[in-house]
Amino acid sequence: MLVLSRKINQSIMIGDDVRIVIVAVDRDQVKLGIEAPRAVPVHRSEVYEEIRKANQEALGAAPVASGKPERATLRPRTKPQH
Amino acid sequence: MQDEQLTVDLPRFGPCTFDASEVLEFPWGLPGFPDLHRWLPLNLDSHPTFVWLQSLDDPSVALPAVDPWMVFESYDPKLPAYAFTSLEIREASEFATLCVIVVTPNAEEMTINLMAPVIINLRTHKGRQIMLDSSNYSPREPLPRKAAEKPAASSKSA
Repeated sequence: MLVLSRKINQSIMIGDDVRIVIVAVDRDQVKLGIEAPRAVPVHRSEVYEEIRKANQEALGAAPVASGKPERATLRPRTKPQH
Repeated sequence: MQDEQLTVDLPRFGPCTFDASEVLEFPWGLPGFPDLHRWLPLNLDSHPTFVWLQSLDDPSVALPAVDPWMVFESYDPKLPAYAFTSLEIREASEFATLCVIVVTPNAEEMTINLMAPVIINLRTHKGRQIMLDSSNYSPREPLPRKAAEKPAASSKSA
C-alpha cells in the first residue's frame, strides 16, 4: 500500500479526476473531502463490505426452488395512486 | 438485430433457453461478484414473485430478488447521481428496481436489502447495484414470509 503524509488542507489526486483533501484532524479521527466525477460512487468501506456480505449470503442461503425457468419481465415502478 | 437463441444448463434450474438480447449487462459486476457481468432475470412458474438474477458467467450463481414495492409500498429510494450517470438513465420510466433477498438457513426468516437496490436501465439493459447515500434503509430489513408470497397488494387498481 502506498503511504503518503499530508497536512490539513493538503490533498492527493487519484488519477486525473479524483481529489481527496484532508479537511480536519481530531485525535484519532480524520475528516476527508472527496471530489470525484458524478459517475464515480464514493462509499465508506464498511458499507460496501456489508453489501458484499449480504449478496454472498443471498447466494449461499438461496431457497431451493423448482419450476420451469422463464425470462422475467422487468418493469419500471408503477405508481399505485394512478 | 440480435435474436440469437442461446441455451444454458443451469445447476439450480435446469436447461434454459433465452434470446441474446435479453441478457443484462452489469459492467461493474455486483459487490461480492465483481467479475460476473452477464445476468439473466428469471421467473420460476412456481414462485412468480421472485426474480432470480442468474449469472451467465458463473451458472452456479443465482440471487433471489423482488420488486421492493410488492412488499414495502412506501419504499422511496433516493438514488445518488452516480446511478443516473453511470447507467445513462434519463427518466424514471426507463429503469426497473429489484432488491436482493436473504433467507436464513432454516428458511424461517427472510430479509431484503433495501439499502442497495439493483437498478436496471430497461433501454440499454445495463444494471448496477446502487448504494443509497445516508440511507435510512437496512441491507437486512426483515420481511414477513407471507408478504413475499402473496400477490402484489398494490395492484388493486390495475
